Amino acid sequence: MQNFRKLPVYLVAAFTLGIVSCESDDPTPENEGEVITNVVLNFQELDASNNPVGTPVSFSAIDPEGIEVGATPTIQTINLKKGKNYRMTIAVTNSIEGEDISAEILEEADEHQFFFLGTAFTGNIMTIAYNDPSGKLIGLQNRLAVSSSPGTNNAQMRVVLRHDLDKNFPGATNPNFQNFEQAGGETDLDITFPVVINN
Amino acid sequence: MLLSAQMSFGQKCDLILRGKILHQENDDPIEAAYVWILETRTGAVSDQNGNFVIRGLCPGTYTITVQFLGHKEIRQSVNLTGSSTAQTFRMEEESLDLTGVEVHGHREAVQTTTAVTSLYGEAMLQARGESLGESLKRVAGVTTFSTGNTISKPVIHGLHSNRIMILNNGIRLEGQQWGAEHAPEIDPFLADEITVIKGAETVRFGPEAMGGVILVNPPALPTSKKHLTEIHLLGASNGYMGNLSASHLGGSDKIKGLGYRVQGSVKRAGNVKSPNYYQANTGMSEYNFSSSLGYSSDRLGAEAYYSFFNTELGILRDSHTGNLSDLINIIENGEPFTKADFTYEINNPKQVVSHHLAKIKSHYHLNPEWKLNLQYGFQLNNRQEFDRRRGELNSRPSLDLELITNTLDLFVDHTIKTNWSGSIGLNVIQQANSNIPGTGVTPLIPNYEMFNGGIFAMEKYLKGPLELEGGVRYDYRQVSAARYVGNELQTADLDYQNFSAFVGGLYQLSPYFAFTSNLGTAWRPPNVNELFSQGLHHGAAAVEIGDPDLVSENSLKWVNGLEYESEKALVEFTVYANQIKNYIYLNPTGETFVSLRGTFNVYEYLQADAFFYGFDLSGSYTFSDRLNGYLKGSIIRAKNTEADNYFPFIPSDRMDWGVSYAFGKSSNPESDRITFSNVLVAQQKREPDFDLAPAPPAYALFNIGYQKKFQLAKNQFNVGFQINNIFNTEYREYMNRFRYFTADMGRNILLKLNYQF
Repeated sequence: MQNFRKLPVYLVAAFTLGIVSCESDDPTPENEGEVITNVVLNFQELDASNNPVGTPVSFSAIDPEGIEVGATPTIQTINLKKGKNYRMTIAVTNSIEGEDISAEILEEADEHQFFFLGTAFTGNIMTIAYNDPSGKLIGLQNRLAVSSSPGTNNAQMRVVLRHDLDKNFPGATNPNFQNFEQAGGETDLDITFPVVINN
Repeated sequence: MLLSAQMSFGQKCDLILRGKILHQENDDPIEAAYVWILETRTGAVSDQNGNFVIRGLCPGTYTITVQFLGHKEIRQSVNLTGSSTAQTFRMEEESLDLTGVEVHGHREAVQTTTAVTSLYGEAMLQARGESLGESLKRVAGVTTFSTGNTISKPVIHGLHSNRIMILNNGIRLEGQQWGAEHAPEIDPFLADEITVIKGAETVRFGPEAMGGVILVNPPALPTSKKHLTEIHLLGASNGYMGNLSASHLGGSDKIKGLGYRVQGSVKRAGNVKSPNYYQANTGMSEYNFSSSLGYSSDRLGAEAYYSFFNTELGILRDSHTGNLSDLINIIENGEPFTKADFTYEINNPKQVVSHHLAKIKSHYHLNPEWKLNLQYGFQLNNRQEFDRRRGELNSRPSLDLELITNTLDLFVDHTIKTNWSGSIGLNVIQQANSNIPGTGVTPLIPNYEMFNGGIFAMEKYLKGPLELEGGVRYDYRQVSAARYVGNELQTADLDYQNFSAFVGGLYQLSPYFAFTSNLGTAWRPPNVNELFSQGLHHGAAAVEIGDPDLVSENSLKWVNGLEYESEKALVEFTVYANQIKNYIYLNPTGETFVSLRGTFNVYEYLQADAFFYGFDLSGSYTFSDRLNGYLKGSIIRAKNTEADNYFPFIPSDRMDWGVSYAFGKSSNPESDRITFSNVLVAQQKREPDFDLAPAPPAYALFNIGYQKKFQLAKNQFNVGFQINNIFNTEYREYMNRFRYFTADMGRNILLKLNYQF
C-alpha cells in the first residue's frame, strides 16, 4: 500500500487543473442590421406631360420590432384615384438602427428587385412599369396608371422584394412576374396592401 | 496433491473446469494462452474471447498453470467438488527489464455488457473519405440525420445530437451539437478504430449518453522501436472530391516506452450533383491535424494529445428561404430554382467551424491490482454561420459562437486477480459559451456558463463464462445564462441533478454463442437552445420558441444482444427498448407569424413521454475461401405515448446486403476482392401529424467495390475502386433535412489509394 503515497500528487494535479476554469463574456446588445421596420409607398400624381400635380400621398407598412415574435405589422390601405397616373417610389428603412435600406438596395441593384402582384394588376385595375432613374430594373421608382373604368373599387397590391435572384431569368423583366421565385433568390419583403380606387 | 486426486477415485469423473483469461492491464481477453492441469496432464488453449474448457475431471484439488508469452505464469490450486467450476485468471505482464518483451499497449478496451460494434481494418479502409456520420452507417442500427450531403450527424437507435455522445480519444466532444445542421467536429482519419456502444452509458461517460456512445480512437502508441507511415489518397467523381491524409507512428529506440504519432488530412470538394442537376453552393473544404506523445513503463503511462479540426461548408443556396411561401414554392417545384454548374467556390450561406482539443492523460499502477487515472481535456470550438445578407453584413457571420470546455476525470480502477474489477471516480465539466458581438443579429442562444460534477462507481464480477456488472452515478449541473433581447438584459440560473444506474450481464453460452443484457438509466438536461430559442430559422421558414421551464429528460434503456460466431458464420442480433420521460421535441403550433418579410410557421419546444424500440441484425457467412455474403438491417419504432403520435425524423426501416468474391491467387485469394451491395430503404409510414412535405418514397441503391492489396516487401499498398449508386437513381432520404429542396447525391465513382510503409 506504499504506493498510495502517490495519490496526493494526483489530487493536487487535479485540483490545479480544476481551477483553470473559464468564464463566458458578458452579453452585449446586438444592433439588428438586417431588420426592416418601415416600408413606405409614395404616390406622386403626374399630369399628361409627366409633371407632378398636387402633394404626394404616402401609405406605409410598419413593424416597429422588425422580425421579432409577437408583433403584427400595421398595413395602411392605399387610396388612389381613377384614371390617374402616378410616380410610385418605395422607401425602406430600419428605424431601430436609423438605417436607410433603400440606399443599400440601390447600391446592390444587381441583386435586388421588386415585384408587384395581386388583384390590382390582374383585374385590369392598374398597370405598373419600372422607372428607376438608373435605368436598371429595381422597382424603387415606378410609373403606375390607374384604369379610368376599373371593374371594382377594391383590390390588393402585393409588394415583394427579392434578393439574390437571377435578373436575366426569362420573364423577370416584367414587374408583374407571377413566377418570380423561379428566378431564384429569397424574399426580403412580402407585404399585401389593400387598395381602394376612388372617383 | 497427487494423492488428493487419487482419493477421489471411484467418484464420477464428469466435472468441467471453465475459465476466462484476461490481461490484468485492461481486461482484454487473451487468446492462445495455455492452461495446464499438472495432476491430470491435460490442458486447453484459450479462444479469442479468452475462454477455455477442460472436461472429464474427477472431484479433487488440482494445480493449474496458465502461461502466455510475455506474461507472468499463474500457478494456482483449484478445488473441484461436486459441481463444475468457473474461474477467471488475470495475467500480469513481465517486468520491462527483460529484453525482447514488448510492453503491452495502454489503450483501454471498452468494458461493457451493452451491444458494441467496432469499425476497423478493411471496413475502415472502405469508409475512408467519408464523414464520421457516413462511415458509421456501416454499423447496423446507426443511421444519419443530415443536412444536405456535407453535414451528417450519427443517429443511434433513433437518437442523435445531445442524446448521444462522441469521444475523441477519450474526451467527450463538446461542440455546438444541439443544432440539427451542426456536424460533429472530428476528423475520422485520426482514428484507426471507431466503436459504437448502443446502450445507455451515463454512468460511465456522463450525462447525455442516452442513446449510445461513439468512441473515435487513434491507434495505440508504440512502446518500442517501430515506425509506420500511412498515406491515403482519395478521389471522387461527384463533387470532384479530393482527400489526402498522412500519418506517422514511431517508437523511440533510445527511451523505452516512448512513442508518438502525427497525422494530418486535407479535403476539398465542389458542388454535389444529384442525378439531374448540380446542387448550388454545396462545396466544402476541410483541414485537420492531430498529434500525440506517450510514455509507458510497467507502472506509469502518460499521454499528451492535440487535435485540430477546421472546416468550411457550403449550404445549398435554395435551402435558405425568405418566408413560408418561398419554402412552399420550392417544395412544389421539386428541385432548387437556382441553376448551378460545377464549382469549388463556397458562397453564403456557409459555415466556418474550427475545433481544438488538447488533453493530457496519465495512469499509475499503485500495485498490480490498483490503477490511478487522471485525464484533463481542453476544447475550444468556434462556429460561424453566414447567411445571404445585404451589403457589408454579407461578410459578417450571423451566428458567431465561441465555446470553451474543460473536462477533468479522476478515477481509480481495480482488477482483483480473480473475479472482481471496477472503477470509482469523479468527473468535472466546466463550460463557457460566448456570442462574439458584431453579428447584427440577436443571438439564437445566450452566453452561458455551465458546471457539471459527477461521481460514479461501478463494479464487474467475472466468473468463467459469466460477467455481471452494475454501477451508479450522481451528477449536479448548474447553468447560468445571460443575453440581450433588444436592449433588455435577460438572465437565468438553472440547476439540475440526477442519479443514474445500470446493471448488465454477459453469458458465454458456448464458444460460439454469447448473450448480453443491459438495463441502464440515463438523463439529459435541456439544452440552451431548447430553453432560450426565440427567433427565425431560415432553413425551415420557422420561428422557434424555447421554454426556460423545461426539465431534464430521463430514460431507461434495455438492450439485449445475442452473438453467434463460428468459423463460417457471424450473427449479431440486438433488441432494445428505450422509455424516455420528458422527451424534448420541437412541435409545430399550427399558428403562423406574419411579418413584413411574409409568413412563418411557429414551433415550440414541448416535453412528452416517448417510447423507442427496435432491433438491429447483422450477419455474414463464408460460403467458401472465395465467396462471402453479408446482411445488415434495422427497425426502429418511436412514439409519443402521451399524444399517441409519431416524432419527426425517425429513421425508416432499412437493410443492406451484399456478396463479395475473392479472386486472387489460391495462396492468397484475399488480394483481389470484388463486392456487390444493395441498400434498401423503406418509406417512413409513421409520420408526424405535421410535416412540410410527405415522407419520400422507398428507394434501392446498388453499389460495387473492388479492393486490391499489394504486398511490396514489408510495405502494403491497397487500391480501392467503388461506384456508389451505380444506376444514378434519383432518391430522397427521409432523414435528410434537405429532402424538401433537392434529391440526394447521384452516382459517385471513388478511387482510394492507401500505402503503408
